[in-house]
Amino acid sequence: MNRITKRILFPLTLLILGGIQAMGQNVIDLKITEVMADPDSLSLVDDYGQRHGWVEVTNTSYGTVNMGGCYFTDDKSNLKKSIISKNDLAAQIGKRQVVVFHGSGDNTQGTFYLNFKIRKGSTIYLVSNDGRTIVDSIAVPTTLPAGKSLSKYANDNKKMNFVLDPTPSSPTPGSMNGDANAETNAQKMARTDPHGFILALTSISVVFCALAILWFLFWVLFERPAKKKKEAQAAALLPKKTTAKPGTVTPEVAAAIGMALDLDTSGEVYAAIATALHLYLSESVHDTESYTITIKPSEGAWKTHGQTFRRLPSTKKK
Amino acid sequence: MDQIISSLQQFWQFTGFANFAWQNLAMIAIGITFITVAILKEWEPLLLVPIGFGMIVGNIPMFPGMQIGIYENGSVLNILYQGVRQGWYPPLIFLGIGAMTDFSALISQPRLILIGAAAQMGIFGAYLLALAFGFAPNEAGAIGIIGGADGPTAIFLSSKLAPDLMGAIAVSAYSYMALVPVIQRPIMLLLTNKKERLIRMPAPRQVSQKEKTIFPIVGFLTTAFIVPSGLPLLGMLFFGNLLKESGVTRRLAETARGPLVDVVTTLIGLTVGASTQADKFLTGRSLLIFGLGLLSFVIATTCGVLFVKLINLFLKEGRKINPLIGNAGVSAVPDSARVSEVVGREFDPSNHLLMHAMGPNVAGVIGSAVAAGILLGFLG
Repeated sequence: MNRITKRILFPLTLLILGGIQAMGQNVIDLKITEVMADPDSLSLVDDYGQRHGWVEVTNTSYGTVNMGGCYFTDDKSNLKKSIISKNDLAAQIGKRQVVVFHGSGDNTQGTFYLNFKIRKGSTIYLVSNDGRTIVDSIAVPTTLPAGKSLSKYANDNKKMNFVLDPTPSSPTPGSMNGDANAETNAQKMARTDPHGFILALTSISVVFCALAILWFLFWVLFERPAKKKKEAQAAALLPKKTTAKPGTVTPEVAAAIGMALDLDTSGEVYAAIATALHLYLSESVHDTESYTITIKPSEGAWKTHGQTFRRLPSTKKK
Repeated sequence: MDQIISSLQQFWQFTGFANFAWQNLAMIAIGITFITVAILKEWEPLLLVPIGFGMIVGNIPMFPGMQIGIYENGSVLNILYQGVRQGWYPPLIFLGIGAMTDFSALISQPRLILIGAAAQMGIFGAYLLALAFGFAPNEAGAIGIIGGADGPTAIFLSSKLAPDLMGAIAVSAYSYMALVPVIQRPIMLLLTNKKERLIRMPAPRQVSQKEKTIFPIVGFLTTAFIVPSGLPLLGMLFFGNLLKESGVTRRLAETARGPLVDVVTTLIGLTVGASTQADKFLTGRSLLIFGLGLLSFVIATTCGVLFVKLINLFLKEGRKINPLIGNAGVSAVPDSARVSEVVGREFDPSNHLLMHAMGPNVAGVIGSAVAAGILLGFLG
């Protein structure tokens, strides 16, 4: 079993975790956030001095995403229409980075070029590096005017939930489509809670709740079972309660005497049994103990300070 | 000859004497005071010696642009300082704290955990005061965490919320942690009467190894689900404790609580000290931060002691808690618990409160990490 575990399960687990990791940190975090089909004289110029339609992609995550091996297409029946070159460092899109792909029709021009042109009325798809999964898409309206783009906006730059704005607007290639001047949490707090009482009260309540839950859990998991166990142990030490009056010869006592007498024992043993029975029947022994030891202090010569051998511990006062 | 004089003049420009300002001398004097106090009085020497020496290092006047200052990109000190600036060191210290802390006192008497929560009021009291003094909410949150009496937590939170104030906040937090016996004792005596100080608490029960092993997992899941923003601190704290208590990772636990924590403590102390360059540190705001830091310790101690007195109103005789352990909710481990023991023994030499005080003390560590997570969530 150990060998199986080591040889099969361990690599399998690594593979699964690797797979989760691969899916987790990458292309699903990419969003197509802007598209332009028909450039005018003021539109973006590429590295070759040309103007093309373009598509903008934003990495919404806080980690680097490798776009190498991903595809763009405007044809759903051919998802691998334009590949982004693999093993290209430029395809590593940094956290919250925005990049623009030019629809020049020739993707050999560079990493950020597509081998098809952006056409009005088409839909641009971003396809994962598996060549099957569509990560995001944007439809280019037939009515998109020249020099205008269609954008997706995020109202909160932290959450990055992009929503399509159906109205064509002035293009902003390569910059974040969102409210860059959105309030920070601290600014929001300064506006809504200038004296800080709400935050203070909320926070202290949360701290108390968190630790109270912890207390409850420890009580349920640890303290209560320990208490019950202790009570059970104490109960086990107590003698069993009997309804018979002390000194009465119950069937159990009679059986015990009978068993003792059946044994091949000496005269001393008989004498001991007889003495015990006599004491028991005459109620001259304790059969119920309080289990409490009381030691009453008494004054004696040994307790006086003058005769003790060492000093009592005391704190050193400065 | 002229060339030699010219070279000497040029050399003079690079010396500390030519770039000297009185503020540098003031900071160097503070650094020497820290080292002196640490050596002669033995107040938090493991922290005050590196911080004190770091202050001296950071305040040697120098010609700017030589790539040696802590604020100059790429310098050795700057690289080491990234552990503070980016918040790497505090979670590593928490790993060590987890690996060296015995939570038995807390597990055996879980009711004491709430004292650790009450003492966190110092954080939010200081937050309110800092706002009243005109600090922005994020700065106020970073200042308030001084009341958590936890150096790594203070550094972690201030590096996220107010990096410019981090030097003053860190030095303030560590200074007051060293002064816990001086600050807490008079407050404890002021708020308690003789009868309360003599309360004897029942001995804590023996905690099994199984309970100790389950504790970090339950503790982590509970706190991290409530305050995920405290994950770096809480995760490392409970992970370190699991290494210690699991019994099968002794080598890892020993490394975490030994060499690792020593290395990180040295680096964090030195770089935090070096970050207190006079031009950035000697400001009116720093003085205000020191004042607010002191108040946060006072509020935390007061709330801890008063909270015990409050819950004593509802407890039966024999179950009452000695209010002298209320101060231990301030998470300066184990200094504040030691203060409870020492003050308790002043009034009854046979009444040992240390083990009882360790419960709220370690609860305070968890509480301050939770509070830091909350502040980070609201203000980050």
